[in-house]
Amino acid sequence: MTDHIKAEVILKSENINLSYDDKIILRNINFSIKNIIRPGMLQGQVVSLIGRSGIGKTQLFKILSGLQQPTSGNVFIHQDKKVKAGDMGVIFQSYYLFEWRTIMQSLMMAAKQNSALKGKEKEAIKTYADNFNLSDHLHKYPEQLSGGQRQRVSIIQQLLKGSDFLLLDEPFSGLDVCVLDKVVDLLLQVSISDELKTLIIVSHDIETAVAISDTVFILGTEEGKPGATIKKEIDLIARDLAWQKDIRKEKAFMNMVEEIKTCL
Amino acid sequence: MEISLTTSNIKKKAAANTPSEVGGWSRIFQPFAKISKQTLIIMIVLQAIITITLWQITSDGLIPKPGNIATAFGQLLTSKLLLDNLLVSLGLTLKAMLYSIIITLFFAYASVIQFFKTMANFIVKCRYLTLTGLIFIFTLLTKDGSELKLSLLVFGIVPFFTTSFLSVIVNIDKQQYELCKTLGYNNWQTLYEVIIVGKADQVFEILRQNFAIAWMMITMVEGLSMSEGGIGTLLIKFNKYNDITNVVALQLVIFITGLCFDYLLGAARQWLFPYTKLKTGVAS
Repeated sequence: MTDHIKAEVILKSENINLSYDDKIILRNINFSIKNIIRPGMLQGQVVSLIGRSGIGKTQLFKILSGLQQPTSGNVFIHQDKKVKAGDMGVIFQSYYLFEWRTIMQSLMMAAKQNSALKGKEKEAIKTYADNFNLSDHLHKYPEQLSGGQRQRVSIIQQLLKGSDFLLLDEPFSGLDVCVLDKVVDLLLQVSISDELKTLIIVSHDIETAVAISDTVFILGTEEGKPGATIKKEIDLIARDLAWQKDIRKEKAFMNMVEEIKTCL
Repeated sequence: MEISLTTSNIKKKAAANTPSEVGGWSRIFQPFAKISKQTLIIMIVLQAIITITLWQITSDGLIPKPGNIATAFGQLLTSKLLLDNLLVSLGLTLKAMLYSIIITLFFAYASVIQFFKTMANFIVKCRYLTLTGLIFIFTLLTKDGSELKLSLLVFGIVPFFTTSFLSVIVNIDKQQYELCKTLGYNNWQTLYEVIIVGKADQVFEILRQNFAIAWMMITMVEGLSMSEGGIGTLLIKFNKYNDITNVVALQLVIFITGLCFDYLLGAARQWLFPYTKLKTGVAS
């Protein structure tokens, strides 16, 4: 097993329940994410939340991001801070950007929300734009960009805002094989950009999500009980399946994917 | 890194998927068929020629013939009478539209605040009130004919403007509010970004769509106080003397002026808000 330390809890979901009228959508969602430290390495982590389509992943995504209030329960970040909208970096499946703002203006809006960048907003935007190959597109409108470019802008926008957490809703949905690899590389690049940077990927694409994750939470239903809950937590580091480039070729990885599928 | 579906690619693909634009004249009678620009122009010209010819042939003396209307139209255009009256009407309409849009924007923006929401909704319902029934009340409330016309116009236009703008606000995509929230914006910042800045282009679109209503009302209110002139006054005078040829010629002037404004407001919107030119259709 790769040398690492699991330090303090950086995100905690405590007894989250969500119901619409009498219908229970989410039931007793309890999990926590700890800061993972690799000696001699500076990197964050990737956590996946896997579940079938229509199970309630998007609702949980919105609750974690503070965009939706649960019926009961709380989400805490950095020990005891109750999460509220704006605390998390959120990247929706549609990579929505204001169509009336140029890319530069959209990024500036986010940078201005980050007090750590005060007075250095333009430099920060330029650095990110260079790193993400968007320098030539800063003065364009979102409608003039491709889906991939918009995805990168959405990620930069949320990174500029300065949150330690980046929540991504179905980032691999509808991508062809070549683009998928590039998105995976991009997410890994983001995850190693900072020690506390934590990517939480909500997805039904088991293989791709798990291949880049350190921890996997499986959202599913339990027999005889209404609503979805966290059925299982898989520590990929403990299984020696994390931080490996060609992990998909490993037999143990394929077995684990099967294990997850049976759990869903 | 890029997903290959850019706007231009999508347009090319869409063009490739649509039936061929050339395919003979039979296509003009087929549903959803595309025709070339040249075919379209020829079709419109032919339709106009047929209509005018039928009109010329079937006119029995009571309805003026197109030739007579064209002559009257030419005379009107060269007369100082038309220009003076047209300028008076345009001045009044633009003034009324300016006041109306200010009132509309105030109530529409404020409609996201509960205290003003009921007021905005009441203004929307006011479009069911008839101006004719309110003339006496407005006469009592205003100082002179000019003020009476302006206030009646504003009262007539505002409910329609407000209805259109509230519908824009109600139909705002939830993602726009959510993006503001994820950026840590408070409610006032969200109101500014999503509704005031984000929908600024819609103000022009609403002006364009509702200019027709204002332009239609002007001829009615100008009849209330004829001393200042205006195309409404001119129309009443022509009607009084059964000068139908000039009435129709004047209608033509009103129609063309309306079309010009429609075009100007559309062009101004595209110039001020260049993103409105970019069509949607990029894959997400």
